[in-house]
Amino acid sequence: MLGPVDVLVIFLVSIVAGFIGALFGLGGGVLIIPFLTLVEGVPVPLAVGSSIVSVVATSSSSAAAYVQDHLTNLRLGMFLEIGTVAGAITGAFVAAFLPVSALFILFGLILLYATIIMIRARGIDFPANVRPDKTSRTLALGSQYEDHSLNKVVKYEVTRTPLTVFMGYFAGVVSGLLGVGGGIINVPTMNLVSKVPVKVASATSNFMIGVTAAASASVYLLRGDVHPLLAAPLIIGVAGGALLGTRVLKVTPPTRVKIVLGILLAAISLLMILKGFNLPVVL
Amino acid sequence: MDLNRLVSYSLRIGVFASALLSVVGLFAWAAGGFNNIAAVAGSDIAGTLSSAVRGDASGIIYLAIAILIATPVFRVAVSSVYFGLERDRKYVLISLAVLSMLIFALISRLAA
Repeated sequence: MLGPVDVLVIFLVSIVAGFIGALFGLGGGVLIIPFLTLVEGVPVPLAVGSSIVSVVATSSSSAAAYVQDHLTNLRLGMFLEIGTVAGAITGAFVAAFLPVSALFILFGLILLYATIIMIRARGIDFPANVRPDKTSRTLALGSQYEDHSLNKVVKYEVTRTPLTVFMGYFAGVVSGLLGVGGGIINVPTMNLVSKVPVKVASATSNFMIGVTAAASASVYLLRGDVHPLLAAPLIIGVAGGALLGTRVLKVTPPTRVKIVLGILLAAISLLMILKGFNLPVVL
Repeated sequence: MDLNRLVSYSLRIGVFASALLSVVGLFAWAAGGFNNIAAVAGSDIAGTLSSAVRGDASGIIYLAIAILIATPVFRVAVSSVYFGLERDRKYVLISLAVLSMLIFALISRLAA
């Protein structure tokens, strides 16, 4: 049973989660899930269901700002959503049948891998000499954005699109299974595989996450795994935190964004693996 | 009005309405003496939603959740109409594919 103090604490934590989520193109679920399960002792299905609803709020709130700034690649986002939404429905369905511990270990490993690639690779804020693949040319996925910290317009192309769509499906499955947005997979994939500049990848990921999370949230809602007293403070908190986060991304230099993101991802992946092995995780 | 602005506005309005209703729902919960609220499933959600009219805390929060989930769905619908007006057939098909999957998730019995 949730009391007023729990609701207040969840509200405060979700402000932080929303802020960080918006800053890094994550839905904020990566922070909310460990908090709800480890600190508040919420059962996993309810934590996942309520988190995924709040992920819709974080994503939609920050997506609104990025879209208006023309940072988001709407066409690319829309096309990749075919993969992420299909994955989210699969994940939300399968979640009811799989042992949670195995999923957490898998999640931690994938996240760690994505972090290593992200930190090792350099100079992909402004990818040069990228040749668009056939899908990219047919769908006119290449675009441009204005980098506010450099005061210049950056043109970019999109390559290896089919692989990114496939990875998007996988990101969707993870999202539906674990109540996160899937940005942890989408941002590195778009950036490293398809050579989309990191800021655009982050903004486009945020844009996709809303739709991805809405698909799995529908399944969790109908299943009765969305708790009103968890969802309400999460919705208010993350929407507010995300508004703050989007303001910071516009002025922070890209390299700093990536280093902070890398450290955060590594810490969370270790936490997930420990949890998967049923080791006592202290936050 | 361009697609960027259209999408941006619809997202903002949806999240704002949902957050506002969440606040109202929590105040209604406080006014009712912080009584325990349980999660409901399937067709019971429709009944709970209709209790929002009477000022029921649970009903108001479920309405907030429903509006929030509907927001990205609406965004995809708006995009498909926009691409239709632009006569961009490829993107009409892409957005309709996404939309039909979202509707499938909402009406499917996968949840059971």
